[in-house]
Amino acid sequence: MKKSILGLVAVAAMTVSVSATDYRAEKPAAWTAKTVPAAIEALYGKITPVEGDIKLKAPKVASNGGAIPVSVKTDIPAKSIAIFQDVNPESAVAVFEVPEGTQANFSLKIKMKKSGSITAVVEGKDGKFYETKLSLEVALGGCEG
Amino acid sequence: MKKLILALSSLALIATAVTAEEAKTPATEAAAPAAAATPTEVKMKIKAKEKNGVVKAKVAISHNMLTYDQAKKKGKEANFITHITGTVGDKVVYDASTSQFLSKNPLIKFQFDGKKGDELKITYTQLKGEVFFATKKIK
Repeated sequence: MKKSILGLVAVAAMTVSVSATDYRAEKPAAWTAKTVPAAIEALYGKITPVEGDIKLKAPKVASNGGAIPVSVKTDIPAKSIAIFQDVNPESAVAVFEVPEGTQANFSLKIKMKKSGSITAVVEGKDGKFYETKLSLEVALGGCEG
Repeated sequence: MKKLILALSSLALIATAVTAEEAKTPATEAAAPAAAATPTEVKMKIKAKEKNGVVKAKVAISHNMLTYDQAKKKGKEANFITHITGTVGDKVVYDASTSQFLSKNPLIKFQFDGKKGDELKITYTQLKGEVFFATKKIK
């Protein structure tokens, strides 16, 4: 009985390692960083992102800061895409890995306490980093601090 | 047998020591799950439609996404999704590490190469390590 439990645990552990990178486990500091540059450094190291062809979309004026639709899309062959904002207590919002066969085109809804800006960083397969920024107004903060 | 129990208890001690350390710095979000949790099947709204070999997927997860500050105000524990994975068979088609700043009841959209009839499985992990999943056939 014990053996079977052990086996199960091992299988579970294996499936976890097979699936893609868990940026939370690997780069814990990136999630507690309080500024966008600090979060980027914690996630990717010391990098100097260049302006890239990244389509970052969000409404200019968000009526509800609790659910702001944000989409990020790029034609750059990407390894991962990270989204940050600069008004909440911590900066990181999400890091997407781009698996083979998946398009670098993601949408999600985020929370923002007040008006600020969103930064998207793309880690290209060429080892270069690309960045784009977008500022928006939030009419009603959704994060309650 | 006794030795085993001893070893186990010492392990547990170490584990508690670690959690205590983490509690000191509430900003530490990287609370690793103590043990591999068994995934629980939940209801999710998943739409997955194939057109010209590309599957467009939309997933809505019912989740409070309580941030640390919100939880403090309400006197509850913070709880939010930390990882979302989408798989078809053994293949990972979507993988996101997420923070507390996703909206309540997060909605995600993504696109990948796939075909009709395959099953898309969405798995998410929340702060304390519990794992939930749902599946949907691609239309």
